[in-house]
Amino acid sequence: MDYQFPERLFPCFYNDGPPSGSVQSGAEAGGWGCYYGALPQGVADSPSGWSFTSKHQVRGQTWRQTEPVAIPLLSPKKAFLGVLTPPDPLDFTEHMQNFYVNYGHDAFGCMSDILGEHFYFRFGKKQREKHRRGSVSMWTMKNFIKRMKYKTCHLMFGASALGSYCSLLSDVVLDVPPELLGSLLHEELTEQRDRLLFSERTTGGALAFVPFSRGRGCLACPGGPGLNRLNFHRVELQRRGVELSSREPHSFQLEAPIRQISHASLLNDCCVAVRSDYLCGAWRFSETNEPRLLQVVSTREAATCVSVSPHVLGEVLVASESGAANLWTVGRGLQKVRVEDANLYFNAKSWWRWCEFSAHPRVILYADRTGVELTDVRAVSAAGLTLFRISSTAACRSGECLLQSRYLGDAHPFHHLVATQYSAYVMDERFPCVPMLKWDHMMEAPPIFCHAVPRAAGSETAGVLLGSQSSQEITLLQYSGGRVQPCFSLGPPQALLRPRESLRHLPVQIPHRLETATNRLSAPAAGLTCIRGNAGGGPDGEECVCVLQLTEAGDVFYQVLKQNEDPSDRRRPETSAPSAEAQLVVSDTSSDEEIIGPTQAAAVPETQTVDSDSSEARGGRRRVKRTPLPVFVNDDPDAATTDGEEKRSGRTPAAPGSRTLHTWKVWLQKLTYRSGEKALDSDLLTAETKNLLTVPDGEARGAEEEQREESLRRELKACMSSRSLLLLRGSASSAAPVPGAVDPEEWTDALSRRLTVSWRGEEAWRAWWHDNMGLNVESKVEALRRKRRREKQARRAAGRRLELSGSFTSTVSYQTELDGFSSSAEWSSAASQGAWSDVDSDGVLSKLDRFLSTPLHVQTDGPVPTPTPTPQRDENHEQQIVSASQRGSPDTTSSSQRRTKHPARDDLSSLFETQDNPAAAASCQVSSSQPVPPRTTRDVFASFASSQPASRAPQGRRGPPQASQTQKKKPRMGF
Amino acid sequence: MPEGILHPDNRTEMLNVGNLDKDLESHGDPDNDSDSSDNSSKKRRKSKLPLVKHLYVESRNETGFLGSCRMCLEQIREAMLHHRWQEAAEYMACYPQILEHQKNTTAQRELVWRISTEILHHLPNSTMDDYNIIYERMKHSGVKLYLMISLEHSFHLMLHGHIEDAKQQLCVAESWRYGKETTSQLQRTKLIQAYRSLLDYIIWCDKKANLSKNHSFDSDNQSVHNYFRQASVNLQEILKNPGVWDPFILSYVEMLEFYGDHEEALKVLTDYAYDNSFPPNPNAHFYMYRYLKRHDAPEKRLMKALKNLHVLVPSHELMLEYSSLLLQSDKRSDTQKALGVLLEMLDFGCWRSNLDVWRCLQAVVRELQSEDGWEGVVCERMETRKYWWPALHFTSFHAAKDSEENPKLLEVKASLAKILCPDRRLRYAAEQS
Repeated sequence: MDYQFPERLFPCFYNDGPPSGSVQSGAEAGGWGCYYGALPQGVADSPSGWSFTSKHQVRGQTWRQTEPVAIPLLSPKKAFLGVLTPPDPLDFTEHMQNFYVNYGHDAFGCMSDILGEHFYFRFGKKQREKHRRGSVSMWTMKNFIKRMKYKTCHLMFGASALGSYCSLLSDVVLDVPPELLGSLLHEELTEQRDRLLFSERTTGGALAFVPFSRGRGCLACPGGPGLNRLNFHRVELQRRGVELSSREPHSFQLEAPIRQISHASLLNDCCVAVRSDYLCGAWRFSETNEPRLLQVVSTREAATCVSVSPHVLGEVLVASESGAANLWTVGRGLQKVRVEDANLYFNAKSWWRWCEFSAHPRVILYADRTGVELTDVRAVSAAGLTLFRISSTAACRSGECLLQSRYLGDAHPFHHLVATQYSAYVMDERFPCVPMLKWDHMMEAPPIFCHAVPRAAGSETAGVLLGSQSSQEITLLQYSGGRVQPCFSLGPPQALLRPRESLRHLPVQIPHRLETATNRLSAPAAGLTCIRGNAGGGPDGEECVCVLQLTEAGDVFYQVLKQNEDPSDRRRPETSAPSAEAQLVVSDTSSDEEIIGPTQAAAVPETQTVDSDSSEARGGRRRVKRTPLPVFVNDDPDAATTDGEEKRSGRTPAAPGSRTLHTWKVWLQKLTYRSGEKALDSDLLTAETKNLLTVPDGEARGAEEEQREESLRRELKACMSSRSLLLLRGSASSAAPVPGAVDPEEWTDALSRRLTVSWRGEEAWRAWWHDNMGLNVESKVEALRRKRRREKQARRAAGRRLELSGSFTSTVSYQTELDGFSSSAEWSSAASQGAWSDVDSDGVLSKLDRFLSTPLHVQTDGPVPTPTPTPQRDENHEQQIVSASQRGSPDTTSSSQRRTKHPARDDLSSLFETQDNPAAAASCQVSSSQPVPPRTTRDVFASFASSQPASRAPQGRRGPPQASQTQKKKPRMGF
Repeated sequence: MPEGILHPDNRTEMLNVGNLDKDLESHGDPDNDSDSSDNSSKKRRKSKLPLVKHLYVESRNETGFLGSCRMCLEQIREAMLHHRWQEAAEYMACYPQILEHQKNTTAQRELVWRISTEILHHLPNSTMDDYNIIYERMKHSGVKLYLMISLEHSFHLMLHGHIEDAKQQLCVAESWRYGKETTSQLQRTKLIQAYRSLLDYIIWCDKKANLSKNHSFDSDNQSVHNYFRQASVNLQEILKNPGVWDPFILSYVEMLEFYGDHEEALKVLTDYAYDNSFPPNPNAHFYMYRYLKRHDAPEKRLMKALKNLHVLVPSHELMLEYSSLLLQSDKRSDTQKALGVLLEMLDFGCWRSNLDVWRCLQAVVRELQSEDGWEGVVCERMETRKYWWPALHFTSFHAAKDSEENPKLLEVKASLAKILCPDRRLRYAAEQS
């Protein structure tokens, strides 16, 4: 029952004084995570019957958007858009400069008329005679001054003569003294900035929805470029969203921009009051009757508030900056009910006043920046009763001021919402002074729009929407109680979608269209309203709320919120240690979802589109085709988790539906069309090109040249007439030679190599990293083993002879390696620290190939019998690569194993072991007791190394020691 | 042309030099005139607009670490405002690093605590242990936060049914002392004591119920009495401070009544209702009335209590009782008062279609009609209402609605319409006839 007053309220202190500093110690931390108070409930008879309720309850109703973007309702019309970023008043110098440059005549008009005849700006000397003698020739200045329009380097384009003129004339040539102009500009910019950051004129908002029945209603909103046309659109809330009726809206042209629209409906009849700066008008209509204007009144001072009575149709409150509140009985005129010359509780230096009706038809709320009073209209002289004031009772912060007060008649007949820049308060007029509820709304910009979300039938929970102007925020707050139970807030504030964030979710736009759209979408908000209804339209339809937002460009955007009752989501940590099963279940489901997340994400919109709209089936099919895509998505662990998360949290779908996309596409197209493709800025700096491209003098050229030119011209002409291509035959030879192919091998440092690799795509790049970090040692080893096995089998198949030579080779190579190690530590370290990566192994290999193909030379060079290329060598060039990668650091790959009959496998494994473990490698080195090989062997190395002189030095310095060595191995076979 | 315009660079250079000079000066003399005027102008501008500066907004002179912390906070905030708790939790895993920063402020510590608890509220697998860890850790992160977090911790325990633990927490917080006490700290201490006493009362209730069931010994009785004594000290203390103490006063009065201290109970209730330093709490008068009624106080006192309530809340549901009390009394003026009370109730939207009030009004009017000059009395009461009551109650729309929803109401209203608004032709009545 509405008349009940809660039997017990949450305890709180009552400090009747100005806001104290001590309260705000951590006030900027926001309002999260607090309970604020607890109240015992329950029967005292049973020992365990006690339960508590808190002033702030952890969870409220879950509302989620059906689409990830706000959707435009009306097609875009022409609009004036102001600047979006608040100007910095200290930029006044720049503005002054612009003024002097662009409006030179206004800035220097008088003096230039006087001085003009003493200066002569034209080029040449002849005409000069006509002028008075003694005039100064300024033609060199002309070009200079021309360039002043552009932002060029002032040092480079300086002119010393001009500098002297400046010092001579700078204090006389200006029409307006710069000091004066500067201070005026500064003042103006400050004001503009303030207006952009916070403009109190639009308090209340100029958007109203008048419900008729079953989701139908009438939307009153301003239109036209100056927002000076009042439109009444018939709208209907349907499953898909808000539908505009095809009928033309009723519209009324007003004389001033609409600042606020207030409405109230009573038993099928509705009254709408509209406030512009100095005029207020009232319209009346119903579902069957067209809107008709009843009366217009004008106020002497700017009107700040208009408010329609919810009790008696045709009563309107009007407040103006004169400090007076008037009761306007439509048809009779204004009657002053309260006048206040000063602010109510302290001097806030503000003329802003606000009025609202209360639960009693003859008691009104009179508010200014300092507080709210309840005033009885019948007793004019009587002082008001304080309902709310900025004080420490409400735990206000210093500097806090009231921005708006709103009668929440839809939610509770005795409740009022008071919004400040920090908090929102629910006041009960039966118990003035003490706020029943306080939220920290945590909005960036001050909330000056407010709307109560009507209660659903049978539910106690009501919502409050707060909207800010410059940042377009909408915040949904929920609360309950005020009848049997005391008021308590539900859940943390929820931010709704903003139009300016829409473009992120839409297909990418061409840059200049993007700019148009961004500017249009970031226009400040100008109003807020909501429609409550059933999404399905029928009685069993899902509860939904449609939130509409008006921007100053005259666009209306809406978003549909559906109530999401997720039972698993509602689980609260009731016990100190939840049972193991419960946890298990939770983790199970979450992991499940993580796995199938992406697939679901693709499947869900598909079904939606199909059953919601058959005409959009094409879009649905397109989605079906896309379903295999997520398989790739799964490769990326990051993408998989985020996707799964979105599903798990039961949030809005990640991508807008096809219908929304279509709406947006049409809207953006219309917007581009309406705004017109802006011509490219014609004021660009143009460079002189007149004398840049000239044919050298004819004398220098020979007759042959001329002839060729002639023929070329002829050919060109012929080609043009026949529309064919001109192919240069003879002259083509003289074309500049193609620059030499870039050889990436020449840069062997890590960065260059990485960059080179990255040209081959992400795979290669990633592989390089893996190699470099030594992440794929395992797999490489495996691959190598396989290859070796295959090799061995092939060899076995080929016959004894080969095997023999193979074993021989391996032994020899071992020796050379050992030699390399023991004799030259530098070499070994250089090689082991990653000499050749996979990337340029091609290059290296080809060199090696060449190198190896001259075995005789090597043989003569040293005693090492270099194996001749085996018969198979050509057919498995691959083999070489493998062995190349196998060659690795010459650090004495365990000598004993080298000598065994199975060189490949064990050899490799030990190789990797040793490389992974430097200590082990060292021990291997120690254990090897080989004779110092002859010097000639080293020469082989030297010659080899010298073939890549660049590679050596940086290798020594670079790379982590554990970097995988698999790719860096030179073919051992060759030695 | 002035040089400054042609060469803005030069000008800025000059300005810079000027700044440098000023800087040098201000270094030497911190109370420089130009400096202070600068500050005051900044302040003035700041106070003029109701804008908020948030913690997540970029500040000057922030280092890389603070910058990344701020960005992280921004992400957390964004995620939390859009109720993406999982995402917020992931970011939150990093944010507490700010606590290691030397210059972290109380606000930042409080923020860490607030955000973590809020995220825990919404994560599906948060346990009580998680909460305890957060509360305990952050409690000790700063002296300014200790009392607040202790109180919130006990609330959390209470809400989850751990009354003993909650009491333990409150006891610990009660004995906590630190430095000089600010007003808010003092009040918080008192609140902690009062909540502790409330829990004492709850235990007292439970013990008492057990006692009455088991008929046990004196020692038990003594322990129950101990709880009463513990509770009463603090409750008495907090009731001296202006504020809303509904649950505390109810429990205190209940205990006092149990031990038969009616004088004290009445005194406490009277203070609560009639002390001017207290906010005008309708419940204070309601409790008073209920107490008086429970103890069979004379009608005069009841009516006095209700009269006070009527001044505060003319729409209170007890006004029906008040009007019937007024009607029962013999005085003629009381009947007129009853008429006033009922008419005022009907001003409010919530009573407009309530049959009982209209019936009551009918009875009062009948009572009045038995005397002379009743029309004058009604006229007087209706004087201020005659312009808007017809629109409020007696339009054809109301008639249609009433006949549809409550025909009896229609009957009562129709009979009263002519009496209340005799000189106006009402559609409500016309349609009826």
